[in-house]
Amino acid sequence: MSKRVAIIAANGTLFDAYKVFNIATAAAASEAEVGIFFTFEGLNLIHKEAHKQLPLPPGKEAMKEMLAQANIPSIPQLLDMAKELGVRLTACQMSMDIMNIKEQDLIDGIDVAGAAAFLDFAYDADVTLTF
Amino acid sequence: MDRDKWLDATGLSCPMPVVKSKKAMDEMAAGQVLEIHATDKGALKDIPAWAKSARHVLLKQTEENGVYKFWVQKG
Repeated sequence: MSKRVAIIAANGTLFDAYKVFNIATAAAASEAEVGIFFTFEGLNLIHKEAHKQLPLPPGKEAMKEMLAQANIPSIPQLLDMAKELGVRLTACQMSMDIMNIKEQDLIDGIDVAGAAAFLDFAYDADVTLTF
Repeated sequence: MDRDKWLDATGLSCPMPVVKSKKAMDEMAAGQVLEIHATDKGALKDIPAWAKSARHVLLKQTEENGVYKFWVQKG
């Protein structure tokens, strides 16, 4: 039985994106079954436009240079890798309603569901993380 | 040591060495050996951990001039 990793992405800065997608791709590359549930600001990470220009956390804007110089993939690249590795991406219906985000505002290849669906996945997870 | 495929992951940081290793392995047959080179310090622990999770066998591991080399046999 392969390991299952459940991740809740509840925040939407560039750092949060790296935290979520780095661990998701590393887990998926290690043959784990990975599911990410995007809620509230986390929806930024799968928003068609926003995910390409995620903000840095307040006070950390100076790190933009350092990040550009470090040899790390961009968020759109990491997202593609995650999808390629079979990571399941689920958007929280309720957050979408509150923030007035429509399904067509989000990238392709995602599901929309609620807390119950995520919990069903997370009950059998070996690891559950929140970022 | 002999290898069937060589992956150059030097200069790449986490999670790329592991992601690329998995992709390279997917194209190989059981029993074949993948030689991975990486410079990311995290890779020192990541590659063996990945090999274990993915049920491959880490045959050999060396370090030369800051380059970590791994020979992993597909399980």
